[in-house]
Amino acid sequence: MVSVPRLRRRITRLALASVLGLSTWAGVAAAHSGGLRGATRDPLAVPTWLFLLTGGGVVGVSFLLASFVTDRRFVAAVHGWRRHLPDPGRAGRTLASLLGVAVLAVTLAVGFLDRAAGVRNLAILVVWVAWWGGYVASTYLLGDSWPALNPFRTLADALPSLDRPYPDRVGAWPSVAGLLLLVWVEVTMPLADDPRLLATVLAGYTFATLGGTVVFGPDRWFERVDPLARAFRFYGRLAPLGVEDGRLRLRLPGGALPETTLGGLDDVAFVVTLLFVTTYDGFVATGAWTSVARATVGVGVPPLAVYLGAYLVGAVLFYLAYRAATRLGRRHAETYLSATYLARRFAPSLLPIAAGYHLAHNLGSVLVLAPTLAAVAAAPLSPPASPPQLAGLPSWFGGLELAAVLLGHLLAVWVAHATAYDLFPSRLQAVRSQYGVTAVMVGYTMLSLWIVAEPYVAPPFIAS
Amino acid sequence: MTNTDDAETDVPPDEHAYVCEHCGRPFVHETHLALHRGLDHPTDLSAAEREAFEAASEEEETDLRRFRLLALAALVALYFGFLLTYAVVT
Repeated sequence: MVSVPRLRRRITRLALASVLGLSTWAGVAAAHSGGLRGATRDPLAVPTWLFLLTGGGVVGVSFLLASFVTDRRFVAAVHGWRRHLPDPGRAGRTLASLLGVAVLAVTLAVGFLDRAAGVRNLAILVVWVAWWGGYVASTYLLGDSWPALNPFRTLADALPSLDRPYPDRVGAWPSVAGLLLLVWVEVTMPLADDPRLLATVLAGYTFATLGGTVVFGPDRWFERVDPLARAFRFYGRLAPLGVEDGRLRLRLPGGALPETTLGGLDDVAFVVTLLFVTTYDGFVATGAWTSVARATVGVGVPPLAVYLGAYLVGAVLFYLAYRAATRLGRRHAETYLSATYLARRFAPSLLPIAAGYHLAHNLGSVLVLAPTLAAVAAAPLSPPASPPQLAGLPSWFGGLELAAVLLGHLLAVWVAHATAYDLFPSRLQAVRSQYGVTAVMVGYTMLSLWIVAEPYVAPPFIAS
Repeated sequence: MTNTDDAETDVPPDEHAYVCEHCGRPFVHETHLALHRGLDHPTDLSAAEREAFEAASEEEETDLRRFRLLALAALVALYFGFLLTYAVVT
């Protein structure tokens, strides 16, 4: 039985490799038009360094192209476009919150009671396919519906609260730690194979959340501490549907990002961490990591310490790289706006990149396992012996995934461009202020393309 | 039409900043201040400030034109750079 994350990674790699093949295939076919037709396509006809350079080049070129758009009114008009929509009403909201609680209850019950493992277990399918793959994608493709659906919020609202003052000194840093912890658990534990473990983690998360809301009050908790609510709120800024002045409104995707100013460096760290955790998940499945980990464990370091060390060092490096980039932008722009303020303004432009990678990583497994979910949901406690799966995805599907990654990057470059125009009176200053974030984006593209181009190697020493 | 209402600024103590008298935002260059006044406080301009805004806009346009040429050159260099690299490698 193939586990969900493993299947997910395998599909992504295959898809991206086939796209890579696609782009080189045209050249190969033209050169050997008289040769063997249908000869085996070598998906890696382009050397990796050139593949990475091309990815970085595409981002750099999109920055240059965006810099040609110098009409302030046009840039402002694109982001100012909005339409108001009718309110879903109280009944809709009640229905959504009841649905959220029901799904949580069923997931916990099936996770603890059902002995079926892997993709035959409804708890695993609900968490990894329906929620992590499908629902999370809806938060940035449609809108953040989590405040309405959030079962933890519905439960918390029903409980009394001590309303202790939240220590404002710590800001939203606990949510950064919470996000790191959640993904750490996801990477190091076989949550996609063992339903009982998954249900235990879910129950632990529920208790921790309810404990926090009882002490500090639900509003404070979900605004400052809960990593899921915060991640969905940030993703929701990217989505076309959103709430503005209490009314539902429709905007262009990413339209709200240039005017978004993050609350502080804690929020900046959260957005950067959101990007980092996706990268780490893929990075530990590369051959390079396997050899580094084996060598380090060989000299006597405990395996989990190696993973944790790389995890924390990587998170800090990502954050420091972003801060350095905003300082670089500040120097080039010749401005008195503080480096912290620039970091708070430019960080939302990283969200489309994170969303693009999330979509590319999960779209395949959601589609392949959607029939499985339907079949198992029909009989959660006696699932079919081999539930149906989509037999395969068409070859152009890889193109769709690469398009998601690319679109994410293009949107990110455009958002940074519009943000810069929102910040600086001189348009040349605006262009120069983007040097830093553009450099970060180029570097990040090359790093993550390298990760997806590397063949999948099961991470050593951990059970995931 | 810029939006930096809640901006934090950081002016080194030994530097002379050009400060906007309407909103207090400091600028490194006088031309930036002139542009800022024209864009964000267009109704409060004196004749001299309007003139400064027009002069700064003109200068900005010249600089932008030079930048566009450089960007175009960079695009062409990237395009042919990749084209040649792909021709040699594959």
